[in-house]
Amino acid sequence: MSQEYESVELVGDDAVRHFALAVLVAALTAALAQVSVPLPGSLPPFSLQPFGPFFAGLLLGPLWGGLALALYVLAGVAGAPVFSNGNAGLGYVLVGQGTGGFIVGFLAGAVVGGAIVHRRVRPRSLDDVRLVYQVGGLLATLAVVYAIGVPWLSWVTGLPLSRAATVMAPYVPLDVVKLLVAVGIVRGGYLTYRSTR
Amino acid sequence: MLSYRPGETVAHGLDPRAKLGFQAGFAVAALAAGSLRWLAAIYALAAVALAAARLSPVTVARDYRVVLAVLGVAPLLAGVALGPPWFRVDPALRSLFAVSRVPPVLAVSGAYVRTTPVRDTRAALQRTIPGRAGQLLGVGVGMVFRFFPLVVEDLRTARAALWARAGQRRPPWVQARVLAVRGLNRTMVRADRLTLALRARCFAWNPTLPALRYRARDYLVTAVGLALALAPVAAAAWRTLPAVSAVGRFIPIG
Repeated sequence: MSQEYESVELVGDDAVRHFALAVLVAALTAALAQVSVPLPGSLPPFSLQPFGPFFAGLLLGPLWGGLALALYVLAGVAGAPVFSNGNAGLGYVLVGQGTGGFIVGFLAGAVVGGAIVHRRVRPRSLDDVRLVYQVGGLLATLAVVYAIGVPWLSWVTGLPLSRAATVMAPYVPLDVVKLLVAVGIVRGGYLTYRSTR
Repeated sequence: MLSYRPGETVAHGLDPRAKLGFQAGFAVAALAAGSLRWLAAIYALAAVALAAARLSPVTVARDYRVVLAVLGVAPLLAGVALGPPWFRVDPALRSLFAVSRVPPVLAVSGAYVRTTPVRDTRAALQRTIPGRAGQLLGVGVGMVFRFFPLVVEDLRTARAALWARAGQRRPPWVQARVLAVRGLNRTMVRADRLTLALRARCFAWNPTLPALRYRARDYLVTAVGLALALAPVAAAAWRTLPAVSAVGRFIPIG
């Protein structure tokens, strides 16, 4: 073990609080990728994963929200089965079934969404953020996720861009429903309690 | 799923930084594949990596079966046409070639996961990424490993409780809201406890890292990774060289 004995520099209280929440939001994003709600018939299950980047941006802002999603991606690269269907590894992020762009998009989306909602690095209380910024941040998160994910899918699978967009199009209304659910959760005050502490 | 298993293989003995570098270089080379010969070389190299980790390709294929099944659909989707002849072979073959670059990348990353404990990856992150960002990422990855099973269990318990009350008959967005709120509540409680525990233990920027040692074989693996990353650039330069010399021959200069 390599240890330092000369001086110990403690991490500030604010940083500890944001870091702990970032770790748990990363774990929540990973958990949401494993739990879904079945839809009737042969429809694909209603995945809860987009709530991860939504909550990261809303609760933690661009810096700490970005850290949360970076931790999620790196834990998967290190071997934790955190991606959908319990997959892991750098290979899955880069090329696995062509959806790695959506994982990278979650990270970029959390940063962009957090920046729009909080308009500064340090997260502010969501009580002080107008609804238009909250919805705008979530919409931007979704837009970034698809802006990165669809071309990435096209590149990995060799599908023309328009065909890749067609393949992903049915998921857009479902993600908009998730966005509205996330807005409902914010307006219900479930996130305010935390963000004011 | 693939996960770390202790062992004495060549891959187990390598430094995680060398393995990460090799993985990245290998992925660049694999995704740049433009010919069948190049692709064959990539598959051969992936076989060497699997042998170094004593990992069966069948095990990797079984663990990534969903991924491979989804990839198998891509050429069919690319070939389908909305009018006669209803299926076009050329786009389907292009897509088939594109998706055939994926299995070796998955195999090499599977070999990394099988032979590298998380604490080594954590140490590699902290030693490679400079400053406080590296410290937080390294410590955070270790913590995500610990909390992930707990949070999954929280969500599954919440879903089981919801379904026990006939919750599955409610619209999916209502189920999603209930699960997300329950998951968030549990997450926040755990975050508060973690904050308290970190403060109580004087969470500091000075880490205690496991020892990592770069040996001769690690330099070799790193060099191979670097060569693989540069291979597409070198190949492109090689292809353009005859064209440049032809320009020199046929266009008088001076």
